[in-house]
Amino acid sequence: MKKSPDNTTHFGFKTVEEDKKVELVADVFHSVAAKYDIMNDVLSLGIHRIWKRFTIDCSGVRKGQKVLDLAGGTGDLTAKFSRIVGEEGQVVLADINDSMLKVGRSKLRDKGIEGNVSYVQANAEELPFPDNHFDLITIAFGLRNVTDKDKALASIYRVLKPGGRLLVLEFSTPLYSPVKKFYDFYSFNILPKLGKLIANDSESYQYLAESIRMHPDQETLKEMMNQVGFDNTEYFNLSAGIVALHRGYKY
Amino acid sequence: MSLTNLLCGLLETGVNQLHQLDSSAVIKRKQLNGTIIGVSLKELDIPLYFVISDQQIDVLNKFEGQTDCTIRVSFSALKQLQDNHQLTNLIKSGELEVEGDIQLVQQFANLLTDMKIDWEEHLSQKVGDVVAHKFCYHTKQLFKGAVTQSKAIEKQAALYITEEAKLAPSGLEVAYFCDQVNTLETETDKLLLKLDEKLNQQS
Repeated sequence: MKKSPDNTTHFGFKTVEEDKKVELVADVFHSVAAKYDIMNDVLSLGIHRIWKRFTIDCSGVRKGQKVLDLAGGTGDLTAKFSRIVGEEGQVVLADINDSMLKVGRSKLRDKGIEGNVSYVQANAEELPFPDNHFDLITIAFGLRNVTDKDKALASIYRVLKPGGRLLVLEFSTPLYSPVKKFYDFYSFNILPKLGKLIANDSESYQYLAESIRMHPDQETLKEMMNQVGFDNTEYFNLSAGIVALHRGYKY
Repeated sequence: MSLTNLLCGLLETGVNQLHQLDSSAVIKRKQLNGTIIGVSLKELDIPLYFVISDQQIDVLNKFEGQTDCTIRVSFSALKQLQDNHQLTNLIKSGELEVEGDIQLVQQFANLLTDMKIDWEEHLSQKVGDVVAHKFCYHTKQLFKGAVTQSKAIEKQAALYITEEAKLAPSGLEVAYFCDQVNTLETETDKLLLKLDEKLNQQS
């Protein structure tokens, strides 16, 4: 990501100081944590479930493996991984935001998912795990909010085992211009209103729409992953490129 | 790709919703806790992987690890999977291929097909006892009525075809015809024998 010379970064369409972004993003998620799941279903019309399902299909995860669900939010992926890796496996749900982590933890416990899941509040840029530790790392709709994406990718690369893979599920650039037009209209006109209506918070959803526009497109992100050392990097466009799944291996 | 994902999702939600209503499902899932079973229909080449855990069943359509049991089954044999006595027959006839523990197949088929759901009970919690009872009673009556009706229609149609429209022969006619064919056969045999004898005598 291009950085302005005076240590600033973008927060949606605004430019803020780098130190501030973490706080601002944190405020957004403290504010939406409670209604996060409902909002996801409403805003994506439930399609986010299919995106996540596709992510799991691409993960190649199996019994006994160690999985890190970064920016795991309310634990949708963690729940599935926990059941697939079984008792011998291990899943770590990490999020930088403690509100999201709390919501995730209580949701998973209510579902009876325990034993092989642990919860860590961590910054993706400086992951508190040993080198070569995880078989799979996923970051679903989280990379967008990280201040220094290159640093985060490098840190992920470090904790990944050789042979392990990283999956990045993130909003991206729509492939076709009609889709793009509709999508722009939806995200700037309808989305904040829905946010206001359901979660009583239009700014957070305004930020969501803006941060998606500022996120690197498919090829740029692929290049960024290659830069930090990932091999066989590829991406899959989902829903006409509204969302893309990037996959990279560490050899 | 996303279509199969959608299919998996719907299947998963459907099965788990039904299991929510079935009190015996939890115990059955506990028995199979942690097993992963791959199933593919011979007609469609889409493998499905069922990850069974205490909490629920997850359906994946890609899995790179080792499954506990892999089944390839043809659509017509799907219903008979439940029956223990049929399994060996199905394997012999090639309608079912199993890799791994065959006992798992039975338990798994049981888990999916043998659900004891008391619909009336669940409905009564929503709309009250009386309505639930009336509704279920009438549904059953309607179903019974439909079955007898369809049987009657079948009978009438058969009669119309054989007796009135004469499109096909009736059972008795067929039997009579078969008898005639049999007699003809024996008589030709006799005739052949006689001919053979005559020919032998002459030569």
